[in-house]
Amino acid sequence: MAENTKVIMHEKSIEKTSKLQLVNNVVGTFFRYLFLLIVAIVVLFPFYWMIISSLKTLTEYRLSVPTFWPKVVMWSNYAEAFTTANLGTLFKNTVIVGVVSTILSLVITVLTAFVFARLEFKGKNALFAALLGTMMIPGELFTITNYETVFRFGWLDTYTVLIVPFLVSVFYVYLLRQSFMQIPNSLYLAAKVDGTSDLKYLWKVMIPLAMPTIISITILKMMGAWNSYMWPNLVTRDPNMELITNGLRNAFTEATSGDTNFPVQMAAVALVSIPLFLVFIFFRKYIMKGVSRSGIKG
Amino acid sequence: MKKKLLCVLLIVVMLATTVSLIACNNNGAGNANFVVPEGGYDGSAVTIKFYHTMGEGLREVLDLYIIEFNKLYPNITVEHSQVGGYDDVRETISTEINVGAQPNIAYCYPDHVALYNTAGAIVQLDNLINSTEEGIGLSDEQKADFIQGYYNEGKQFGDDLMYTMPLSKSTEVLYYNKTFFDANGLTPPTTWDEMEALCKRIKELDPDCIPLGYDSEANWFITMCEQYGSPYTSATGDRFQFNNDTNKAFVKRFRDWYQKGYVTTQELFGAYTSGLFTELDPKEQRCYMCIGSTGGAKHQVPSPDAGQTGFTVDIKPIPQVNPSNPKVISQGPSLCIFGKENPQEVIASWLFVKFLTTNVDFQAEFSMVSGYAPVIKSVSSLEGYTNYLNSSNNIIALATKVCLQQENAYYTSPAFNGSSMARDEVGNLMQKCFTATTNDVDGFINQAFIDAVDECEYNS
Amino acid sequence: MVDSKHKWKAWLYLSPALILLAVFTVYPIINTVRLAFLEDYSMMKAISGATFEFGFGNFTKVVEYRNFLTCLKNTVLLCVLTVPISTILALLIAVALNSIGPLRRFLQTIYFLPYVTNSIAIGMVFAAMFNIVGNVSSESTRIVSAGIVNNFLGLFGVEPINWINAGSSYWANMTVMIVYIVWNALPFKILILLGGLQSINKQYYDAAKVDGTSRARTLWKITVPLLSPMLAYVVITGFMGGFKEYSSIVGIFGETMGPPGGKGEMNTIVGFIYQSLSGAHQGRASAAALILFAIIMAVTLVNLQVSKKKVHY
Repeated sequence: MAENTKVIMHEKSIEKTSKLQLVNNVVGTFFRYLFLLIVAIVVLFPFYWMIISSLKTLTEYRLSVPTFWPKVVMWSNYAEAFTTANLGTLFKNTVIVGVVSTILSLVITVLTAFVFARLEFKGKNALFAALLGTMMIPGELFTITNYETVFRFGWLDTYTVLIVPFLVSVFYVYLLRQSFMQIPNSLYLAAKVDGTSDLKYLWKVMIPLAMPTIISITILKMMGAWNSYMWPNLVTRDPNMELITNGLRNAFTEATSGDTNFPVQMAAVALVSIPLFLVFIFFRKYIMKGVSRSGIKG
Repeated sequence: MKKKLLCVLLIVVMLATTVSLIACNNNGAGNANFVVPEGGYDGSAVTIKFYHTMGEGLREVLDLYIIEFNKLYPNITVEHSQVGGYDDVRETISTEINVGAQPNIAYCYPDHVALYNTAGAIVQLDNLINSTEEGIGLSDEQKADFIQGYYNEGKQFGDDLMYTMPLSKSTEVLYYNKTFFDANGLTPPTTWDEMEALCKRIKELDPDCIPLGYDSEANWFITMCEQYGSPYTSATGDRFQFNNDTNKAFVKRFRDWYQKGYVTTQELFGAYTSGLFTELDPKEQRCYMCIGSTGGAKHQVPSPDAGQTGFTVDIKPIPQVNPSNPKVISQGPSLCIFGKENPQEVIASWLFVKFLTTNVDFQAEFSMVSGYAPVIKSVSSLEGYTNYLNSSNNIIALATKVCLQQENAYYTSPAFNGSSMARDEVGNLMQKCFTATTNDVDGFINQAFIDAVDECEYNS
Repeated sequence: MVDSKHKWKAWLYLSPALILLAVFTVYPIINTVRLAFLEDYSMMKAISGATFEFGFGNFTKVVEYRNFLTCLKNTVLLCVLTVPISTILALLIAVALNSIGPLRRFLQTIYFLPYVTNSIAIGMVFAAMFNIVGNVSSESTRIVSAGIVNNFLGLFGVEPINWINAGSSYWANMTVMIVYIVWNALPFKILILLGGLQSINKQYYDAAKVDGTSRARTLWKITVPLLSPMLAYVVITGFMGGFKEYSSIVGIFGETMGPPGGKGEMNTIVGFIYQSLSGAHQGRASAAALILFAIIMAVTLVNLQVSKKKVHY
């Protein structure tokens, strides 16, 4: 008898809590959406501002009281951004540099990450720590020295100079190593027993399992090629070797007459962002999977 | 064993690469005292590189005149490229000098030249200008044709030697709302005292306005130093000399103007002063005078929307301390030539620089496209150019005209590595002193001057 | 596994990376160290044949700089404030995002937007949003346009605040920088944390639901510990990046690194490095970089120590 009551009482309390939870859930969901939407607006507003600025005339842009919507919508700013810069060549160069450097960088990163994740040798940890240490130095300091180096190699105004110096990223090695380390070691040992070679194991087992990370590295690297400005601007003088960002930026700097056409520049920035944005939309799933494995381990 | 060897070998290779890179140090060629080779230009084929900041329109003009230049010197190939803005040009070249990869010719501001010169990379031009070899030197007529103030900018490096040639120049002028001035019987001011009285008067007419907008505080400070004849900087000895009583006095005076609402600047106002000047909405605040660069003339014209009426803009020289001894800033690009191992490259660069700076047609066309003033007087002998200058309703032409009328007023300030730092600091000092909320204004200004000099000295 | 066969193989696989790193990273670092210990080294002077003595002059020169403490303070403050704020905000957003159904993908895509745009261009937009037009610091104050942010705050009865214009206060400037940096840092952090959340086993939450654990408690007792590897990662990389803050400040304030009349008030150590480089003081810049390196190193070690204790696997 006593046992029975206990059960019933327990059931009641569950009913009670579930009702409470329902109310809780509705309110909670409402606030969650509210919170997310507010954040979304905050995130989007600067873009709205960028887009309307890119559609203004220069005169309107320079007004002391900013307008929230262009008086005259200047689609021609986009056309101007498109035509002033030599967009065909810029795209071609950026794609070549992006694709080649991504492939090479992946090969190197995979090999390096594999060593640090699976192979054992003296000083491995010290070496890895040293590599991570290099991430802490502001990279700008390397610029002058690296410029001297590539000059001595005779690489100026070539694709090589745009690709080779930044092939190794300690950051990507680190990401991929984390991902590799989550693959059970027993698989590797089993493969060893079967006499599978390291490279075959890497190709057949580890790479497929770490695919999401590899895809996100690919995308990060492509974005890097897309957004790089300082280095390409320094090492290329030949207009046929320019990349998209420096091509676009230089096209609107009219320093002789002291003007920058900001609306057209904004249009250019918007144009440059579109392909990256599309890439994200299409590969969102892989990017998400890839980064989820990047936690710190070991 | 083999494998161990391989492993050791790899490490050795890596270390060797590193060490060899460190060990290999290079030297740039110093060409401080260029000697023109016998016979001048020998007609050999050379390629010269020219860095500038020209936009598309100006590049087209340049391309046209490179063709003209090649009719005279078919074996000189000119490759030119736009390297972003002025700062980009400086950064790029100072990196390139490190390995001897600098261009032959570049757009420059005086402090850039001083920087390049610490590496001895600039060709000093006197030997070229005075050369008696055929086609090299400048004739006396050519020298006299240059507007003196512009030409002297090449000599502001403390040793009275010529380092740069002027290409295209602008100055500061006073834009004013002629419609408003005429309607109220006002006349544009010629001195700062008149300016003060005028601001007071305008403020009575339209209490909501800020009578005067000034684009650049730094230009204002430096120009006032020149007008008062008080020290600013020096290329030799004690460099930063602007901490003195005269300068403090005018800063205090203009602070007072700012506080009374007589004047504002672009940075302090938070928007373009030209926007304030061309404001047509009767509800909004405006200014009736604007001191700004002739290069920005096209922004000083109102563009009425439907239902609004514009106004007429007129241009006058800026006010002076002493109208009989006027001083006004000159700005805009000059050209410098870099040293190279092959003297023919230097000669070819000089020939091109000489061509650009002395060719009347190029100077005229460049001026019309850029809105900057030509640097030689003979341009006004071209009928097309005079027509352009006198064309009505063309504010850019009018600005250029006023710019050219002041040829005797141009001053140059000393250039040295750090001179642009002084410029930045005095601009900041003006902003700081104008806006400070303090009871001890004199004490505040004193301290601001001390800080500015300290900062300059640390960074130079 | 410790088998001599692997030793040379390991080095072979590492060789492309190590050779490239030796040339393009290690060598520049060695060069930086060398320049840092050459008294008053200037590249331009070196080319014209000047020689420089070995010494610690560059370091003392850096520390003696009258605004060095300002740079240090700004660097540390920006880092210490933005990293926790952006991490907590990203965590809340990721958790909320993970718990909703409709609109999830759409919102996620929006949050990613800041990641794909140029930071200097967006900096200009931010500056415009906080900008007050008008002679705000003169006695005859009249605000022509208070800026979008102030207009918005005005809806709640807040008087216009001078965020970034002449005469603005240090904390107003700091607030704008924090907002901008957090805004910029969110996408990456949300991405990582959301990825981490999606790999957490649902069973933990079901158990918590049955126990009637409150939402806040669930977040604190289950989500955070399970996410701790990602959180640690986000915090550590956040600190590494945060100490190198520079381009975001240029985006808002321009090369003057401060509001009008307050040149350098928002300057950071990397800003100082740039300033020294453009004044052709490479020795001084190198010394400052080494000092910064030491700071980042120390903080990272502390971070790693803490995460070793707190991170659950």
